[in-house]
Amino acid sequence: MNPEDLRILIVDDFSTMRRIVRNLLKEIGYNNADEAEDGAIALAKLKAGNFNFVVSDLNMPNMNGFELLQSIRADADLKHLPVLLVTAEAKKEDIVTAAQMGANGYIVKPFTKATLEEKLGKIVAKMSV
Amino acid sequence: MNPENLKSGDTDELEALFDSIADQRAWDAPVAAPAQVQQEAPVELSAQCEEPHDVFHRVGSLTRKLHDALRELGYDKSVETAVNSLPDARARLNYIASLTGQAAEKVLATVEVSQKLNDTVADEARALDKQWDRLHNNELSLEEFKELARQNREFVQKMAGHTSEMGGHLTSIMMAQDFHDLTGQVVNRIANMAQGLEEQLVQLLLDTTPPDQRKQVEETWLNGPTINAEGRSDVCANQTQVDDLLESLGF
Repeated sequence: MNPEDLRILIVDDFSTMRRIVRNLLKEIGYNNADEAEDGAIALAKLKAGNFNFVVSDLNMPNMNGFELLQSIRADADLKHLPVLLVTAEAKKEDIVTAAQMGANGYIVKPFTKATLEEKLGKIVAKMSV
Repeated sequence: MNPENLKSGDTDELEALFDSIADQRAWDAPVAAPAQVQQEAPVELSAQCEEPHDVFHRVGSLTRKLHDALRELGYDKSVETAVNSLPDARARLNYIASLTGQAAEKVLATVEVSQKLNDTVADEARALDKQWDRLHNNELSLEEFKELARQNREFVQKMAGHTSEMGGHLTSIMMAQDFHDLTGQVVNRIANMAQGLEEQLVQLLLDTTPPDQRKQVEETWLNGPTINAEGRSDVCANQTQVDDLLESLGF
């Protein structure tokens, strides 16, 4: 898969974090990204738009990351969307829940560019198959 | 606790306190015999400073009265919970201070390294430029010119490394801004805790408002948003209402 083919939606209630992720994605080679500040707005954008990748935080108002993930997996059109969680939550139970709910990756904040690149790369590699 | 007694007791007490302070000229005036001061309970203060022991006993006795009153009203548990969350809030504030401090240090260190790199590149470019000036003034021999060309080529090749290194520093500075997200989440949590604590205390205040001031409190409520139309005079919905209530009670 070519980097320009990836259309990513970045979901986090903190604008600085969205900006950091967006800039990092650009550095890694992915220039096609949009943003949403909570799960509800993200879900609406996903349904309306044409995204093929989601990077999301867990702790957000209105609809948190778990609820967003569940909604994505429950939707006929969206259920195959790869979802990479990037969150300050490092509790084992959260990680287990995320995996059980069908998240494709889990990164704990604070993270490095290398980590993001690696986890993203793993998921993208599976997408081309 | 009889509200009537409390009311008149407070006024006399405050007046006596004011008078005693106004009468005092020097703080280091000799202290009255302890026995004498204690006998003047409940409140009339002598013109001299109170004994520390006496103050201690009075604070202790007031604290006991407050504790018992809270227990009777059923508040002790909820106030206890609210107060217990304070050490947690302190720890969280320390976390914020530490995280932001680290981010600042990291950024400053990275900026210093970047500026050094920048200065090095600038110096090298300046030196080369001087040589090119000499070339234009026909001051260079053929050998010197070949050397200049070589050096220039070397410089251009090094630029790839320099710009990459500088880019890395810029990324590092950008990443250091993640403290905003991490501390922001903690700040929200503390703000919620503070609000919870305030709600507990205001609730307590509302419930212990003397009957003659209760009407005043209700009137304050009716000026608030529609939520009050449902007849609840015992809940504060926002900061302005809290401030109004406190003001109406004389605080």
